[in-house]
Amino acid sequence: MPIVLSRRELLKLGLGTSLAVSAIGVTASLAGCSSDRPATGFAVLRDGDLAPLAALLPIMVGPHPALQQEQGAIEAALHQLDRSLASMSPAIQKEVRELLDLLNLPLTRGPLTGVWGAWEKASPEDIDAFLVRWRDSRLDLLRQGYKALNQLLLMAWYALPMAWAETGYPGPPRI
Amino acid sequence: MPVPDPFLQGVARGWRVLDASRLEADPVFEADVIIVGSGAGGGVSAEILAGAGLSVLLVEEGSLKTSSDFENDEAKAYAELYQEGAARMTKDGGISILQGRTVGGSTTVNWTSSFRTPEPTLSHWAEAHAVTGLDAVSLVPWFEHMEARLGVSPWTVAPNPNNDVLRAGCEALGWHWATIPRNVRGCWNLGYCGTGCPTNAKQSMLLTTVPAALEAGATLIHRARAERLVLEGDRVVGVECRGMNATLSRPEGPRLHLRGRHVVLAGGGINTPGLLLRSKAPDPFERLGKRTFLHPVNLTMARFEQRIDGYYGAPQSVHSDHFQWREGVTGPMGFKLEVPPMQPSIMAALFGGHGIESLARMSRLSHSNVVIALLRDGFHPESQGGQVMLRSDGTPVLDYPLNDYLWDGVRRAYLAMGELQFAAGASAVMPGHSRARFSPSWPDFREQVKALRYARHDVRLASAHVMGGCGLGDDPRRAVVDSHGRHHQLANLSILDGSLFPTSIGANPQLSIYAVVACLASRLAARLGA
Repeated sequence: MPIVLSRRELLKLGLGTSLAVSAIGVTASLAGCSSDRPATGFAVLRDGDLAPLAALLPIMVGPHPALQQEQGAIEAALHQLDRSLASMSPAIQKEVRELLDLLNLPLTRGPLTGVWGAWEKASPEDIDAFLVRWRDSRLDLLRQGYKALNQLLLMAWYALPMAWAETGYPGPPRI
Repeated sequence: MPVPDPFLQGVARGWRVLDASRLEADPVFEADVIIVGSGAGGGVSAEILAGAGLSVLLVEEGSLKTSSDFENDEAKAYAELYQEGAARMTKDGGISILQGRTVGGSTTVNWTSSFRTPEPTLSHWAEAHAVTGLDAVSLVPWFEHMEARLGVSPWTVAPNPNNDVLRAGCEALGWHWATIPRNVRGCWNLGYCGTGCPTNAKQSMLLTTVPAALEAGATLIHRARAERLVLEGDRVVGVECRGMNATLSRPEGPRLHLRGRHVVLAGGGINTPGLLLRSKAPDPFERLGKRTFLHPVNLTMARFEQRIDGYYGAPQSVHSDHFQWREGVTGPMGFKLEVPPMQPSIMAALFGGHGIESLARMSRLSHSNVVIALLRDGFHPESQGGQVMLRSDGTPVLDYPLNDYLWDGVRRAYLAMGELQFAAGASAVMPGHSRARFSPSWPDFREQVKALRYARHDVRLASAHVMGGCGLGDDPRRAVVDSHGRHHQLANLSILDGSLFPTSIGANPQLSIYAVVACLASRLAARLGA
């Protein structure tokens, strides 16, 4: 899933021509703005990834009882996601980083997500509006971004035993 | 009650099993035959060639995980046992690909469905792809041999409620359905085939052919990626490998140098053509990596009043071929209907939606049924499959364009599955699509399916069957290998895995790989003078 914005797509998004080198990977031009070092205690996710993902997870999952009741539910889900990412190929890790860069970098975050301030301060309505906009976009890039965030976060959440009771899943048999 | 682990017992008895990441620097290994890949093709080849008295070196990129490691834990299994940590996908992200990456390959994690290659598929190969000697009659003894070897027989226990929806819907509509033959012995009916069989009931390569080869003196080196074939003239003189890191994401370990008089590639679709592309193998007619097929899968979800509990019980025991051949072998896309196992993490990836909508779907998981359609690609001029190419880091990726021919199949499959689920008593059905909703009735569902946008990322597509990319056939202008699996340009190289197939199979492919490879590997053993 190459996260690549063409010149035409960037222009359509109103990002102007300063970024619009033809068919660039967004990160390639912006790499200087973000660190690729994993956050403390993580193998792949970086410091800058944690705030948007922590803000997105509850909006993606919905009002799941365990999210409200369990201490550290969001952190547990992000650590689960990180463990999964660590086993993915470098190529896919890079694409996920590029997707998260779109959410992180001030230059792309506002125009692409409608969230202009910090993720911690974004309202649930703003985040939901961003997800709907990406899901229904005419741009392959944004629809793919929605699908990737949807699958990564929901798979990580529902891998956690704390998430199962709500689904009716009694858990795996013990051998 | 502890389950015995025959693989670890064999290792304790002295099988030669090496972890490449722990070897000293630059070791050299020599054998009569080097086999790259330990899945359906590599396992069967190893048993036959080692059993014929040849010295065999079996190389596997994944790690050695055995029944003692299998804990029915989805996230752990996806990370440890699947290619690219279960995040493999086509180049544009349109189709997710589940493919094994562990000793035993996909056979360690597949859902045990074991079908003989359909006769129309074999006839089509002979007519359209110049395949000889692999017709329905010649293959019968090989099917019989592998079925006996792997305990393949129709499932005799009652289907779980998820499979029973498929049976009941077909019964109500008068459609074909049948019980699926499974490669199991003493199955506990747990439902966790996809995370590695914890009871050693599944007769995967991990439990059968790989142990037999080791017992006959073969060496298994796991956690080693074959990076490049060393070519001299029309011969392969070596295989350069490298140990993988702990999460199997990067080849950072020792470099291994393998030498053999014959080399068998069995890394499966995508990886086998990828290795040949990296090695700059001769490809004068530009066939390598082309015509790679996936059985693209779409799905529908249904709600029931009663519990379905689709995460428990043999995951696939009923199938329907009602729509497989009715439009002709080369007509509009045919499809097979099956159901998947329904553990929560994988279902969360398929159910789609977010927020209240996602939670409403997931909170009904225990009362939900999913039906999948395996679309038969590669039989029509507008179904050329995908092309394997190399990323800048040398790893392979499949470029698989989605076209109107495929979307037509997807749309018809949605309709068939929805009609079936309502006929089986569903209270609501939803197509697997990013903008779909649950329809309360069949007419409403039909209207919804007609109005959907058929576009990349909107339609949820997945694949668990990668086939082709090194197609076989006697015409070197159109095929990578001949009908014996011998490379058309490289004299001592055979390809013996699912990448041989010139089209998709039209059924879960494991038994097709077992039988075709058993046939071709036996000829190879005779040729090598064993």
